[in-house]
Amino acid sequence: MELEQLLESCPEYAKDLKLNMGSVLRQTEMTERQTWGTAVCSAVASRNPRVLEAVLAEASRHLDEPALFAAKAAAAVMGMNNIFYRFRHLSGNEKYGTMPARLRMQVIRTHGSDPVDFELWCLAVSAINGCGVCVESHEKVLREKGVGEDTILAAVRIASVVHALAAVMDAVTA
Amino acid sequence: MLGVGEQFPAFSLTATVSIDKGKAFQPITGKDYQGKWKVYFFWPKDFTFVCPTEIAAFGKLNHEFQDRDAQVLGGSTDSEFVHLAWRQHHADLKDLPFPMLADIKRELCAALGILDPKEGVAQRATFVVDPENIIRFVSVNDLSVGRNPQEVLRVLDALQTDELCPCNWQKGDAVLKV
Repeated sequence: MELEQLLESCPEYAKDLKLNMGSVLRQTEMTERQTWGTAVCSAVASRNPRVLEAVLAEASRHLDEPALFAAKAAAAVMGMNNIFYRFRHLSGNEKYGTMPARLRMQVIRTHGSDPVDFELWCLAVSAINGCGVCVESHEKVLREKGVGEDTILAAVRIASVVHALAAVMDAVTA
Repeated sequence: MLGVGEQFPAFSLTATVSIDKGKAFQPITGKDYQGKWKVYFFWPKDFTFVCPTEIAAFGKLNHEFQDRDAQVLGGSTDSEFVHLAWRQHHADLKDLPFPMLADIKRELCAALGILDPKEGVAQRATFVVDPENIIRFVSVNDLSVGRNPQEVLRVLDALQTDELCPCNWQKGDAVLKV
């Protein structure tokens, strides 16, 4: 299903989301690549197949294969890291910080896409998965790399709306 | 013997890669397999006891090594023809999915420092080498003791499992630069 059709099928109670989706994808604070990569990784992280299908259908018109790969990779690896590092933080036991993770995360090095874009996508996924320490550290890295708060917030807007849409679509199919 | 942190020596050798006539031999250099990890493992002599079990065991794990962007390369000081005859002769080696280097001039083994002083052939040495050609793991057994390829895979996994994510940032640390 195309994104436009999916949005048309949005129930009335979620009309805000339908309209937000249009506007957040037209934000000017991010590049086209950053925008659509954020939409893709957010859709993967939000776990609704119809939203994912619709977002991918549109995103593939704006992203080349390497960018698609990297956006999905961000969702994949952060899906793991958000849980792992969030635990370390939530446990309150500093000893975990000294124990090796023993988890492969090579794609962070080998994703083959722009590092700033990838970092932005990791931040978006972390916002969705709710890992505080991940959000904090990725946000810091992004600003160190010269990305402004306005760009960062633009990405988080997309993540927020995509995630909400996914919840609604889960409810609609249920 | 060369150790961790040193450059793997340059080499240019003929390797036996299959038992198909006309496709059996291939020149291989240290510059091939760009961007990949390499697992070099040497044995003393073809046609002896311990070796085929180990070699076949590496063969069975080859796809796991490939999945980790690692090329397995076996070798001894035997010629490529001896390698070919051995592969044709031994059921477990017929379809070996990786090359057997023929270090017949003993130059590579000498440069690695793994020639047995008494026997003059390669000791049972294993080297895991990263894409920058740096040795990251070395292991040698005495001539009569076989290796455990699962252990080599475990080490490769561990070597590749850096915590690359800023998420492991602790308050007060400098931010990781990837």
